[in-house]
Amino acid sequence: MNQQIRSIADLDRVIHEPGRLMIAALLFAVDRADFVYLQHETDMNKGTLSSHLARLEEAGYVAVTKTYRGKVPQTLLCLTGAGRKAFEQYRRNLKKAL
Amino acid sequence: MDHVGNLLARPRLYYNIDGLGELGGSVMCLGYALLLWLLMRSPADSVWQRSSLFAFIGLMSLIHYGTKAVKTRITYPRTGFVEYRKRWHTAAIAAVLGALASAGLAVGFRRSWDISMLAPLTGLIFAAVYGDNFARAVRWKWIFAGAMVLASFAIAVLPADVLGALGSESPAHPDRAKLLGTILLSLMAYGTMLLISGGISFWLYLRHTPAPAQEGQ
Repeated sequence: MNQQIRSIADLDRVIHEPGRLMIAALLFAVDRADFVYLQHETDMNKGTLSSHLARLEEAGYVAVTKTYRGKVPQTLLCLTGAGRKAFEQYRRNLKKAL
Repeated sequence: MDHVGNLLARPRLYYNIDGLGELGGSVMCLGYALLLWLLMRSPADSVWQRSSLFAFIGLMSLIHYGTKAVKTRITYPRTGFVEYRKRWHTAAIAAVLGALASAGLAVGFRRSWDISMLAPLTGLIFAAVYGDNFARAVRWKWIFAGAMVLASFAIAVLPADVLGALGSESPAHPDRAKLLGTILLSLMAYGTMLLISGGISFWLYLRHTPAPAQEGQ
């Protein structure tokens, strides 16, 4: 039991934050998505979403590509290999702990 | 499925947030019905008989590029762009099942088997696919799934001469005419239902998601 409860401490804190967990879960299911999609699905404002994405990018979990859709700037986001592995590991650890 | 599993299924359901998945299916069903009707009714040396493959390719291109164009102009600016992960195994299973069903239909058609009684089964499969892809996200669409099943059973119990009259004007192959009539009527029924449910979804989408202001991200 102790071991089970202690495994909560092993959870990846970058992903564990609810906002970032939402982003990671959404990006895990797709190849890539844009900023507007994440904003629509998570209902976060631009600033909050940007700061979470910056944290995930800093950890090497999310890759950001700036491009254009016609004349409109578009920010494409995807989970990196490390991000996918971290999310899978997080999911396994959470299941083990609860 | 756990909560994370449910969360991971969300992006897949996003594909039809604007109803375009259903509208595409509707164009496909109604387009097939039109092509089938033209093939049945046109003379053997007509342009339709010689260019049915091109018409089929044209229809598929219309669905593919039409959906893409509407998504680019309406959906992506409002609720965002998503590129889905390639699911090769799902595509391969669908292709194999599709090929088997087509081969079975072709054999039955050539040998004049009375396979029109398979209409209720087709309806059940169609309704199940519709339910899994579209109605799972929006509850009111289960009404259309139920209507598809009912329509298939209604078509199955229609008198053979009614279906035969729809299928062909030639009385030479009554079984074949009944089968063609069943396929034609089923395509029209599914296509119409998809058109209505897709149209409602598209209208609701436009109503509830305002166009974004012209600014960068």
